[in-house]
Amino acid sequence: MKAAVLREQNQPMEIEEVQISKPGPREVLVRPIAAGVCHSDLHFLDGSYPYMLPTILGHESAGVVEEVGKDVTYVKKGDHVITCLSAFCGHCNKCLTGHLSLCQSPEVSRPPEVESRLSIGGETVHQFLNLSSFAELMLIHEHALVKVREDMPMDRAALIGCSTTTGVGAVFHTAGVEPGSIVAVIGCGGVGLAAINGAAIAGASMVIAVDMVDSKLELAKAVGATHTINARSGNAVGEVLELTKGGCDYTFEAIGLKATAEQAFQMLCSGGTATIIGMIPVGTMVELHGVDFLMEKKIQGSNMGSNRFRIDMPRFVDFYLNGKLHLDQMISKHIKLADVNTALHALKSGEEARHVIMFDQ
Amino acid sequence: MATARIKSEITGTVWKVLLAEGDAIQVESELMILESMKMEIPVESTVSGRIQTILVAPGDAVDEDQDLAIIELD
Ligand SMILES: NC(=O)c1ccc[n+]([C@@H]2O[C@H](COP(=O)([O-])OP(=O)(O)OC[C@H]3O[C@@H](n4cnc5c(N)ncnc54)[C@H](O)[C@@H]3O)[C@@H](O)[C@H]2O)c1
Ligand SMILES: [Zn+2]
Ligand SMILES: [Zn+2]
Repeated sequence: MKAAVLREQNQPMEIEEVQISKPGPREVLVRPIAAGVCHSDLHFLDGSYPYMLPTILGHESAGVVEEVGKDVTYVKKGDHVITCLSAFCGHCNKCLTGHLSLCQSPEVSRPPEVESRLSIGGETVHQFLNLSSFAELMLIHEHALVKVREDMPMDRAALIGCSTTTGVGAVFHTAGVEPGSIVAVIGCGGVGLAAINGAAIAGASMVIAVDMVDSKLELAKAVGATHTINARSGNAVGEVLELTKGGCDYTFEAIGLKATAEQAFQMLCSGGTATIIGMIPVGTMVELHGVDFLMEKKIQGSNMGSNRFRIDMPRFVDFYLNGKLHLDQMISKHIKLADVNTALHALKSGEEARHVIMFDQ
Repeated sequence: MATARIKSEITGTVWKVLLAEGDAIQVESELMILESMKMEIPVESTVSGRIQTILVAPGDAVDEDQDLAIIELD
């Protein structure tokens, strides 16, 4: 099968012929139909997060089951599925206390002594986050996918695989936004737009979108923002505090920068909670004013929207099909696998929302 | 002989150790692979020399800033 292989950080990925192993007892071979290009892929490409190389990036996809391992009963050939990097073991402390997205059990990947799922001429290709979706086939653990309705368009379904689950999940699960809350979201890419949409669904009374690109702020309005602020003015915090007359109940950072994480905390009212979704580069420290804790301000991280994706993703599919989740607006372009480098590059400027790779069928 | 310590940048679990005690190691050589939140993270040497001691084994949990190996410098 063909895949976009990353051999060196900051170098373009090349389309190469890659060998994929046979499904183990609990593995599923998936033929992706669509794969979104997320900013997290770029963090690993540019080295702000290290990863073993060579690898095949991509972690936001939807496709069709091609073949299943002998112990798999959950799906069969032909089922439509969305993949998720939050593969869960189902029996560790985190899983059993309902925090499936924090499962760190190694059993969903192949142990180091076994043949790797992906290789080129005998050389291991490291599977990215147990998925590697910039490829014509994916071999994944059965706990890294969910079955979905067949009337769901695959390109929209792919977005649910990461950005929707991350953004909407951060609002619903990590933060638990209540109806009537005042919310601000900093960064209106695929993830931030999903958080805005989620806040609107949750019944927030005010949803303030902050970005530096006007077209993104327009998109934010289309998916549920009630107010927008262009951060180029240099005073996004001041503008939010003025607009809200004292700060937000909930803020979400969806960029991955120290400065905007600190702004998310500064935008809170007393008792408010800042949720950091963006991937801040490894080694970066975030600074807060200690006195703010007397006002019971809180700050927390969110991994993949604290999901229980086997439950969440089919609900998000229903939200889309019922007109509540505005995934059509979030796709700015459909591309071919060979154009993946251009799509990743485009994320740097912030001008466009999601690019979705459509695989030839 | 002067030594240096290779530290973990992140909290995670040791997945695979790629080199052994006594092996020569260069700046940027991969010493081991850590797994953290589903990521396979390489630990690269920051110095050149010979590996004196590897302080962790596959399956061990490691914290940010924890020493992973001691290198005898060239
Ligand atoms: N925590 C998780 O589980 C998780 C999951 C998915 C993605 N992420 C992370 O979320 C972040 C967002 O991902 P994405 O795919 O939506 O990214 P994106 O590149 O599509 O969007 C980022 C947006 O931020 C805007 N921006 C950049 N700098 C800004 C600034 N200083 N002030 C205001 N706006 C600014 C850009 O214009 C752009 O619209 C990334 O760091 C990504 O790695 C985290
Ligand atoms: Zn993502
Ligand atoms: Zn588990």
